[in-house]
Amino acid sequence: MVKTAKGINIPLNRAEGDLEIRVEVNNGVVTESWSSGTMFRGFEAMMQGRGALDGLVITPRVCGICSLTHLTAAVEALDAITGIKPPDNARRLRNLALMVETIQSDIRQAVLMFMADFANQNRYHDHPLSEEACNRYSPLTGRAAIEVIRESKRLLQVVAIIGGQWPHTSFMVPGGVTSIPEISKILQCRIIIDRFRTWYERSILGCPIERWQQIESEEDLHGWLLEKESHRESEVGFFLRFARQANLDTFGRGPNRYLSFGNFPLPVETDVQGHDGRMNRAGYASATDVSSFDPEKVTEDLSHSWYEQGSAPAHPFSGRTKPYASGQSGELYSWIKAPRYNGEVVETGPLAEMIIDGNPLFIDMIKQNGPNILVRELARLVRPAHLLQPMSIWVNELLNKREESFYHSVTTIPDGEGAGLIQAARGALGHWLKVEDEKIVHYQIITPSAWNGSPRDASGARGAWEEALIGTPIRDIKNPVEAGHVVRSFDPCLVCAVHCLQKGSSQGILKMGLNR
Amino acid sequence: MKASIICIGNRFVAGDEAGLLVFDRLQNRPEIPEGITVIEGGLAGLNLLSLLETGGRVVFVDAVKGFKGSSGVVIVEHEEILGSTSQLHFDHGAGLPYLLAVLPRVCDGELPEEIMLVGLEGECTSEMIEHAADISLTVAAHGLKGLT
Repeated sequence: MVKTAKGINIPLNRAEGDLEIRVEVNNGVVTESWSSGTMFRGFEAMMQGRGALDGLVITPRVCGICSLTHLTAAVEALDAITGIKPPDNARRLRNLALMVETIQSDIRQAVLMFMADFANQNRYHDHPLSEEACNRYSPLTGRAAIEVIRESKRLLQVVAIIGGQWPHTSFMVPGGVTSIPEISKILQCRIIIDRFRTWYERSILGCPIERWQQIESEEDLHGWLLEKESHRESEVGFFLRFARQANLDTFGRGPNRYLSFGNFPLPVETDVQGHDGRMNRAGYASATDVSSFDPEKVTEDLSHSWYEQGSAPAHPFSGRTKPYASGQSGELYSWIKAPRYNGEVVETGPLAEMIIDGNPLFIDMIKQNGPNILVRELARLVRPAHLLQPMSIWVNELLNKREESFYHSVTTIPDGEGAGLIQAARGALGHWLKVEDEKIVHYQIITPSAWNGSPRDASGARGAWEEALIGTPIRDIKNPVEAGHVVRSFDPCLVCAVHCLQKGSSQGILKMGLNR
Repeated sequence: MKASIICIGNRFVAGDEAGLLVFDRLQNRPEIPEGITVIEGGLAGLNLLSLLETGGRVVFVDAVKGFKGSSGVVIVEHEEILGSTSQLHFDHGAGLPYLLAVLPRVCDGELPEEIMLVGLEGECTSEMIEHAADISLTVAAHGLKGLT
């Protein structure tokens, strides 16, 4: 007998207050899903008519988690309009700051948000590693949870040093950066990064980064896990053991198509390796078949979003953001637009970066099992291993080349259009900007969570995590941790908005049932 | 005692911008008393931890809900902030209670001697923002004793 869950609303802890995931469950398996962003933000309209440089101050305040990321995209859009390439030292400082923000986000998300669910006693009381999971991840008392907060806080001092202001720095400007750090400050950054790396290797990886990078296949990974107790007891080792026993490698598939805008423009002279002028390659992948990225293929579909409808999906340079929530009841269900690449639904984030960069371990994992929760979250947890080495190189290059330029003069912003396309912690982030008479006439932002958490498009194709939810087994409809794992493996970030102190504050809702 | 006034909130969301309106008002004051630092905390959340490791008195300014029956300014003490929610876990909107709950566990320096919140409830009139700015400076300089 088919059993269908009806109209049960369940709090999804640690989801955003403006994210609603609604699913249909039949015989204990998710058969349909809808992802709804419930807050209109409207930054694009807010930017129109402002001074050309205002994006540098306003967009970092779009998000409290990715403040520097928005600053980076904003300044790259302006760089593109001016046509002036920042000097190498400015590249190094900008990249360092963005890497710090990415790393702190990665380890906080993995341990404080994703692995915190492993300490959910209602769901995992019978898991063989349950007790240890509570010791590690219980909020406020978990050993790993506290360590991650302390270490990420210490690492963020690098941004305060580089940016000269904390929080909300706007140290990136067209043509470079606003200040030249003293040698002592650069040395301080090196000490902080080295200390963080020591902790990351000991606690998160359980081995030196060089050893981790030798892992090139599922088989290697299995061998690494068996090799040493320090590997098994590290956060990566524990994650693998817990997640496999919880079958997190068996669901949460998603579209199996990936997008990365590429990241970290390389200085002209540097020892850091990359592709096409960037450390991380830009690209599109269908499974593990990677092809080049064409920015003209990015469009936004509005067919299921609460916006004034246009005739066809539009490129962000010509896209509109006119809220219109009336009519078509039920068909429109989100304030998030539906970004598409060449008309297709794609996933973005650390897993996409690993595949498009040709990381042999993740390519093998996708070939062996396809995408799933485990591989997606693992990519996030180990991404810092790929960032810490270049960070050390760039800090040393700054020490050796501090007498060189940090800024190329930009006196005016000419008329024109430019895009800042980068990888945020959660994936592809784009700012598309048009300037006339030194005023902003057009601004469009597509965030990673818009790619991953989009609603359906005109063809009816589900967004990435809507698709990933299909087939998810739900053991207890009153405690749907499995659906939470799927959505959280994408690291949803939709708000960073209303956070005022409220007695008995509300939670995000996962709605399960037939009624949208 | 040195003091920090940390104004938090989102100036792009109606109802959540109160703390930053107070920040703007304080910025326009001709003089902030010596020893008091005014900081735009914005949405930094957990990233404010580094500002709470140098002892002294810390006064947060933020919008609040459910603390007063009507619009107005309210002082919320440290313990009441911690007790205002049972949701003491991290998320992208992790708020003040989480920040203060985790602080003693991760502090690398000196914990603040006093922590309090100047809360703005309801619609923020210009008078209310001015009042909150005055109160913030008073409690930053003298603690709660300054209000008696």
